[in-house]
Amino acid sequence: MASSSASLKRREQPISRDGDQLIVTPLGAGSEVGRSCVYMSFRGKNILFDCGIHPAYSGMAALPYFDEIDPSSIDVLLITHFHIDHAASLPYFLEKTTFNGRVFMTHATKAIYKLLLTDYVKVSKVSVEDMLFDEQDINKSMDKIEVIDFHQTVEVNGIKFWCYTAGHVLGAAMFMVDIAGVRILYTGDYSREEDRHLRAAELPQFSPDICIIESTSGVQLHQSRHIREKRFTDVIHSTVAQGGRVLIPAFALGRAQELLLILDEYWANHPDLHNIPIYYASPLAKKCMAVYQTYILSMNDRIRNQFANSNPFVFKHISPLNSIDDFNDVGPSVVMATPGGLQSGLSRQLFDSWCSDKKNACIIPGYMVEGTLAKTIINEPKEVTLMNGLTAPLNMQVHYISFSAHADYAQTSTFLKELMPPNIILVHGEANEMMRLKQKLFTEFPDGNTKIMTPKNCESVEMYFNSEKLAKTIGRLAEKTPDVGDAVSGILVKKGFTYQIMAPDELHVFSQLSTATVTQRITIPFVGAFGVIKHRLEKIFESVESSTDEESGLPALKVHERVTVKQESEKHISLQWSSDPISDMVSDSIVALILNISREVPKIVVEEEDAVKSEEENGKKVEKVIYALLVSLFGDVKLGENGILVIRVDGNVAQLDKESGEVESEHSGLKERVRVAFERIQSAVKPIPLSAS
Amino acid sequence: MGTSVQVTPLCGVYNENPLSYLVSIDGFNFLIDCGWNDLFDTSLLEPLSRVASTIDAVLLSHPDTLHIGALPYAMKQLGLSAPVYATEPVHRLGLLTMYDQFLSRKQVSDFDLFTLDDIDSAFQNVIRLTYSQNYHLSGKGEGIVIAPHVAGHMLGGSIWRITKDGEDVIYAVDYNHRKERHLNGTVLQSFVRPAVLITDAYHALYTNQTARQQRDKEFLDTISKHLEVGGNVLLPVDTAGRVLELLLILEQHWSQRGFSFPIYFLTYVSSSTIDYVKSFLEWMSDSISKSFETSRDNAFLLRHVTLLINKTDLDNAPPGPKVVLASMASLEAGFAREIFVEWANDPRNLVLFTETGQFGTLARMLQSAPPPKFVKVTMSKRVPLAGEELIAYEEEQNRLKREEALRASLVKEEETKASHGSDDNSSEPMIIDTKTTHDVVGSHGPAYKDILIDGFVPPSSSVAPMFPYYDNTSEWDDFGEIINPDDYVIKDEDMDRGAMHNGGDVDGRLDEATASLMLDTRPSKVMSNELIVTVSCSLVKMDYEGRSDGRSIKSMIAHVSPLKLVLVHAIAEATEHLKQHCLNNICPHVYAPQIEETVDVTSDLCAYKVQLSEKLMSNVIFKKLGDSEVAWVDSEVGKTERDMRSLLPMPGAASPHKPVLVGDLKIADFKQFLSSKGVQVEFAGGGALRCGEYVTLRKVGPTGQKGGASGPQQILIEGPLCEDYYKIRDYLYSQFYLL
Repeated sequence: MASSSASLKRREQPISRDGDQLIVTPLGAGSEVGRSCVYMSFRGKNILFDCGIHPAYSGMAALPYFDEIDPSSIDVLLITHFHIDHAASLPYFLEKTTFNGRVFMTHATKAIYKLLLTDYVKVSKVSVEDMLFDEQDINKSMDKIEVIDFHQTVEVNGIKFWCYTAGHVLGAAMFMVDIAGVRILYTGDYSREEDRHLRAAELPQFSPDICIIESTSGVQLHQSRHIREKRFTDVIHSTVAQGGRVLIPAFALGRAQELLLILDEYWANHPDLHNIPIYYASPLAKKCMAVYQTYILSMNDRIRNQFANSNPFVFKHISPLNSIDDFNDVGPSVVMATPGGLQSGLSRQLFDSWCSDKKNACIIPGYMVEGTLAKTIINEPKEVTLMNGLTAPLNMQVHYISFSAHADYAQTSTFLKELMPPNIILVHGEANEMMRLKQKLFTEFPDGNTKIMTPKNCESVEMYFNSEKLAKTIGRLAEKTPDVGDAVSGILVKKGFTYQIMAPDELHVFSQLSTATVTQRITIPFVGAFGVIKHRLEKIFESVESSTDEESGLPALKVHERVTVKQESEKHISLQWSSDPISDMVSDSIVALILNISREVPKIVVEEEDAVKSEEENGKKVEKVIYALLVSLFGDVKLGENGILVIRVDGNVAQLDKESGEVESEHSGLKERVRVAFERIQSAVKPIPLSAS
Repeated sequence: MGTSVQVTPLCGVYNENPLSYLVSIDGFNFLIDCGWNDLFDTSLLEPLSRVASTIDAVLLSHPDTLHIGALPYAMKQLGLSAPVYATEPVHRLGLLTMYDQFLSRKQVSDFDLFTLDDIDSAFQNVIRLTYSQNYHLSGKGEGIVIAPHVAGHMLGGSIWRITKDGEDVIYAVDYNHRKERHLNGTVLQSFVRPAVLITDAYHALYTNQTARQQRDKEFLDTISKHLEVGGNVLLPVDTAGRVLELLLILEQHWSQRGFSFPIYFLTYVSSSTIDYVKSFLEWMSDSISKSFETSRDNAFLLRHVTLLINKTDLDNAPPGPKVVLASMASLEAGFAREIFVEWANDPRNLVLFTETGQFGTLARMLQSAPPPKFVKVTMSKRVPLAGEELIAYEEEQNRLKREEALRASLVKEEETKASHGSDDNSSEPMIIDTKTTHDVVGSHGPAYKDILIDGFVPPSSSVAPMFPYYDNTSEWDDFGEIINPDDYVIKDEDMDRGAMHNGGDVDGRLDEATASLMLDTRPSKVMSNELIVTVSCSLVKMDYEGRSDGRSIKSMIAHVSPLKLVLVHAIAEATEHLKQHCLNNICPHVYAPQIEETVDVTSDLCAYKVQLSEKLMSNVIFKKLGDSEVAWVDSEVGKTERDMRSLLPMPGAASPHKPVLVGDLKIADFKQFLSSKGVQVEFAGGGALRCGEYVTLRKVGPTGQKGGASGPQQILIEGPLCEDYYKIRDYLYSQFYLL
């Protein structure tokens, strides 16, 4: 990427009330961690970011607040990464709601998503009615999920979006969405620190107007990666050197792969350790290894260079372990086991048998949820309760070394400073941490041009963007660049959020649309002289040209240069014209006229003497009609002096001069309306001038 | 005015020569593709050499010799130094293709046009993009956006879209609209009405492409027929392009049928190729990535194919019928040529060509009809020197060395004379004077050159060379030795060091044997002898080129309907044929320039930008038509504060305009629509539609054309005055929007 910071110019966007409204509503992860789901709406386009589940709840309670939105209105759903709290309610949302938009995630995310959720469904021990979805739903959802590659631009209904590397876990993405020029960045979980296999989150090339950013780490600062890794390997090395066993309870995917890489590399560099086995005991991680081995190219350069020699995810010193029965516990060893919280399962079994020996060690490698045993032992209690209910002394060493791949305060603030988004929305963080972060960020952006918001779940943030609508005038219309005051008329074609203005006959050149002309030819039975028709037509229409048909030599007439009337045979007349409303009307009247001629010979009675008298009557009638129509339009209409009508609407007064048609009013809107109404009424009631006869 | 666009072919027009075109957009010069043929004919590159230094960016479309072959040579010899843009697979597989080309050539000739290092350095700075990634150029190319899009044909194969000011220039050669086993079809049809389309006419005259299933069946039947009678099958293939599709076909078929005949894939880089390809799943077809997502089955975990990187392994393989895929497809060099010579005289054997050989190559000769009975082949082989020759070589080398040493010592002496007095090197012995290091080996004559170490410069004032001596004095104060706290800080880098050792500097992975071959500096020479090879084996050619055929090309161009079209890369007849076809049916501006003939395809389109004011837009009622929405606007030009033209509503009533019917009527669709409305409808002669009893409807004027030069559609409806007439007319109107 040529993302030079020089191109990161802050976009000057005057925010005013009369722009288009943009709404951001967290449906989950608003001032909490878990069930990430953020809804966004702008100019009729609706986007949902992430679709997670709250790990601490079960059943419907774990879902984001989907009731707040109409799922069928969502155009695009974007999933940042495969973690349960970002992707696990997707099968529910896809299969059990009215959602029918499109879903996107990266290749690696999609591959792991299925494995992870299938595992999740199997492991989660909830009653059948609490099950949000089953394996079938997951399989069905796979067909609906589309993949997007990093940096690939996809356009759906005029919404343009693309994604950047986010660090955090394999396949994690930050989404940049562009709707009519307004850009929104959703970071998901991200990390700006490059580690053993993942790239650091990229700095987007363009500054967004809104940045929806995670705040998990709040104002904390991480230890440097190298110190962390050194502590980790030192603890392991010294423990096994003294004949102890090391237990690493870890979540199956994400950080576990990073730890395995560290271990494998450390073992490779220390031949004295080669006789000490390392196991990773997670069938899921084993399954996902194929994914890690395949998507090497979305990892960092370091690992890609290693790949040039051999696949670093083909571990040389680490072997998988399926269950505790396969584990021959003799002598020192290193075991990485799930679950990470030591709630149950293999990690707990090993913990129970190892905890009372002070030679052994347990390394907690990341953020632990409150209430789990892993969280408890960090505080090093004297005793712990085993799974069988007995208590045992906790003699093993417990180390907490955080390998969490969330951006810390330093990363977040530099990231935001380089992006300079005018609006920052914090999500995915504990309420207290978030407030601290908000306060601290305020001190970083003291100019006051940056708004920082921390909406709670279902609280909407409203913003206004005066997005310019730019059109491109092309083709014949653009031959001369117009000056102020010139008129421009043409067809406006809108595709997505781009507009083009063109001449109608060039429509097929510049767009996929085409125009058509419909020629109509109708035959009417008519017996009689063609001359009669001609005479009648000339009486009614202003322009009637007569000619003769070149082929048959029969007479033809052209009415208003639109409709050609021809004598086809002795018994038929034909009418031909090209469709448009006026020609259709002209032709209809010609048809009526011809039919009338053949029905009867009409009499023309000229009532000369009535003409003068009716002039006056007409005048009165017209006045009455005007009055009645105005009343029906405006309600309160009174006759004032000198033939002036006084119209009152909502407290505004307009005075209308019936003779001249002039309107006077304080309120310009009303004035305009009355003027237009009067014009129209007049043109409707005024008789057609008889001067033609 | 529009963006200025000029196209100048540098190679590959009116013939099947490699592709290389210069496209200049507002003065920014793109070199699109930089190909060479398997014969490495330098005369082909002459036009390129004249412009190489003016090029600002290189775009590569496919990872084969015809599209990338000249890149290392041009970078090294012709002064090409622009950044190169390609997709990740084109970069990787292209690199491997060039390695294979080089190693094959080196085996049979004293190939010196470029070296492995040249290949590495040419590919080192390739900027890798993903499909549909809009890459904004900076600097001179400010405002230009380039993006590769799926082309099919080869893994990573791209059509390039270059956009400036909303005008698209699309370069699409060797695309395939059909989906294959490992590739998706091209997305070319999703671009409509680009300002310029540059495309090839390669297959314009090629029409009878058989259906995929039938072709696969024939392909496999032919192979198994020969295997069953005990013959061997040779498929001359490219290094990393179309061969992947063939491997998948064979792999799939072998597992379905449970064949036990071995399949060998033999190129100098076969195992690296497959290793890389395994990690390119996201570039492959939907079905492949889907099968990986659901079952984690990597399609390129080949169970039936053995990857070989040298001929000895093949010779050592158990005897019996086998299938061998070997490079080069042209049979000009590489393993395929050797194997061909060995196998050609056995009538049980089969040589199966899957693509048309390059012009003037052995493969092309064998593909002629009728196939030749004998071919004269010059076989060359690199053999290590032995006996007298070796002695002579060594003497020669020694002589050269001595001469070199003598010359160097002369230079050195002069330098020392010149810089005498300033050589105060002893105080800081670790600072190495890089200028003098080069000559150091010979600088003091043969007498004591053996004891000198690289990087160590003996002070010229010293009588004899001596190792540098450091006086390690430590400083003391009242409390003992002074400690520098920095010495005790854990160095961050320590953690990384282990990994960095093996994260070698060679960009691409090479098989060990290949690496040894590359590093093999044993004296050797090339021996050539001419053979007459009797061709008694079967020769079969099948089309696995993965390019769209003539009919599809035409409909594709018609669909895209560019405003201007430039045709390249095809023999004269094909170019002329397609040019005429397009002139008659698609667009009036078709160009087929000669080599070094510059055609100006600047669009004569006028355009300017305006802002649509809120006041105007609130009164516009859009009507939806397919993807787009249309409306009629009458407006007046005003100014905004930022000197931008803005459209405001007309102050008075707008003058009436001629109404326009917008829409595309398909007679067949309309027929269905009418019958759904309960009107009796049937086709009458001459494309007319008889609706009800009396009314007929037909399209008149020039038909059968899409977009392009053709004007609006003309529809004629006629009938006697009756109710049906008006009803059908209303239905017809409902198909259009009146503006």
